[in-house]
Amino acid sequence: MADVEFDQVWKRFASQTAAAVHGLSLTVPDRELLVLLGPSGCGKTTALRMLAGLEEPDAGDIRIGGKSVVGLEPKDRDVALVFQSYALYPHLSARDNIGYPLKVRKLTREEQQKRIDRVAEMLAIGHLLPRRPGQLSGGEQQRVALARAIVREPRVFLMDEPLSNLDAKLRVHTRTELKTLQHELGTTMIFVTHDQAEAMSLANRIAVLNLGELQQIGSPDEVYDHPANVFVAEFIGSPPMNLMPGVRQGDAIVTISGWRIPLACESGPASGEVTVGLRPEGIDVVPEGEPNTQAAEVVAVEPFGSEVIVDAKIGEQLLKIRTAPDVRPALGSMVSLRADPTAVRLFDRVTGAAF
Amino acid sequence: MTAISVRDQLAARADEGPPPRPPERAGRLEWIAVHLVFLVICAFFLVPFLWLLSAAFDDKASAYIQLPVAPTLNNFVRIFTDYDFAHVLVNSVFVAVATMLLVVFAVSLAGYSLSRMDFRRKDWIVYAVLLLQTMPLSATMVPIYGLARQLGLRNSYLGLILIHAAIELPFLIWLMKGFFDSIPRHLEEAAWLDGRSKLTALREIVLPLARPGLGIAAGLAFLSAWAEVLMVVILIDQDNLKTVPLAFYEAMRTQGGYTQVQYGVIAAMALVYLLPVMAVFFVSRRLMVRGLMSSTRGL
Repeated sequence: MADVEFDQVWKRFASQTAAAVHGLSLTVPDRELLVLLGPSGCGKTTALRMLAGLEEPDAGDIRIGGKSVVGLEPKDRDVALVFQSYALYPHLSARDNIGYPLKVRKLTREEQQKRIDRVAEMLAIGHLLPRRPGQLSGGEQQRVALARAIVREPRVFLMDEPLSNLDAKLRVHTRTELKTLQHELGTTMIFVTHDQAEAMSLANRIAVLNLGELQQIGSPDEVYDHPANVFVAEFIGSPPMNLMPGVRQGDAIVTISGWRIPLACESGPASGEVTVGLRPEGIDVVPEGEPNTQAAEVVAVEPFGSEVIVDAKIGEQLLKIRTAPDVRPALGSMVSLRADPTAVRLFDRVTGAAF
Repeated sequence: MTAISVRDQLAARADEGPPPRPPERAGRLEWIAVHLVFLVICAFFLVPFLWLLSAAFDDKASAYIQLPVAPTLNNFVRIFTDYDFAHVLVNSVFVAVATMLLVVFAVSLAGYSLSRMDFRRKDWIVYAVLLLQTMPLSATMVPIYGLARQLGLRNSYLGLILIHAAIELPFLIWLMKGFFDSIPRHLEEAAWLDGRSKLTALREIVLPLARPGLGIAAGLAFLSAWAEVLMVVILIDQDNLKTVPLAFYEAMRTQGGYTQVQYGVIAAMALVYLLPVMAVFFVSRRLMVRGLMSSTRGL
């Protein structure tokens, strides 16, 4: 149990010109489940590997429980890492895989058995213990890998996309389990993924990375409702936030197509060019003739049962609109759109940063 | 429901294939032609063994293949009584086994380093190792002789073992590098995080997975040290140190023409000499085939 701190951490690989991790600073308090989220190549796995001791940072400090771990061998850091490939030892049975870290710590045979059996029961893998990894399915391997991490009761759990090799159904199931497990164990966990839905469902807080730089860190609600910049706005949410160029005019924003959207509160610049962000649920399909609406052509309707996503075009601008399941406009028809003033987010047109 | 092992399932699947078609006329001709060619090739390679077999059991063996008139085991008795072949064999086994152990130890570490560690000019080193493999041994004969003399390694097994190992190392380092390359890095990283030092993780996780490769390296090193002649001739001239190749030499000497070449003795020695090689092959042939196909599937 410990908190984790990244303090101005830099890492550049010889084979790349851009830094893989770019002055990363973040603090993970004890018992938190932090998700490092970003597209591939954003530096999230590198950050995790530096924490584990598999890579050394070029500059900056990494602390676990207040003590710097830079320069420490992986074996001396007391962190457990579940790899995307699970990295089970193929020549050892599941029991010996799980028991390996205990053998290393020279626990008595009885203590080892006791702890292996306890964690096997926790993860319902007792019947798999005699088998070798080659005889286990992907989901079973994943559980054994998880058991190997849990059994040693480390200070910090590190997870490097451990769910990405599972099929969709199992992935959703395991993710819930993992969250419960982390809550019960109370061990700090850092979880790396590129899947924003996974991040939203698991995290206490999400740290969004892009090109090695921290974009935003906050609770799932914060990063969803108040993205720090257009990258986060487009990366989080499915479908992502709609972005349109617009101009501030008094207490309203006028988009390039002439759609006037009144603002609920005083935010952003008093005038000038901005990027307007609207979540799909921040736009409604309304009857014609209401004020502050915009006509748009329906180009696709995607029913998902509990909701319908309507794709509508204003000129060349495509908008995704989340509507109630009974709203089914005909393809090619024109609809009136109205924006929820409280849902409007404004970003700097040049830097992309939120106002 | 009874559990069916993976192997049984695979076997069952293999059985499900279509039954072999009866050979058609053209197919049968092709079959005969292919087997004829194989027969000719086999015969070509088997003739020397035929001579060995006939000569070894013949008191009056000559340089030609002739069936022994009165088959006898005299030649086998003579190599142990007149030529002290038991001692010679023990010497050869010692040198070959020691070479094998040294080579396995060295290629484990060297192959692993070249596969995993990053250091300056690594590619140069990798190619330099390959370059060594291309050098003809006979070209280095004289310098090796000189060096061995200066270092006191003539008439010493240490010298012989070091040079035999050096001959085999370049190729086997490359071989092992390939094996280590095929073992996922995550496995040893997991072992480090589980609390193992790098050396222990190598011993407990990586080397067991590289066993097919190490088996090949061991087999090839043993066979090469067992069969090597040139360096033995250069480095050893004391009777009590001599290995099998030198014993052949002795049996071929004709004392300035006063005695005859002992063909029967040579053949008997050669058959005994072949036995360990055959044994190594049969014991390790599965491992060798698996290793040579670089099969680390299922990892």
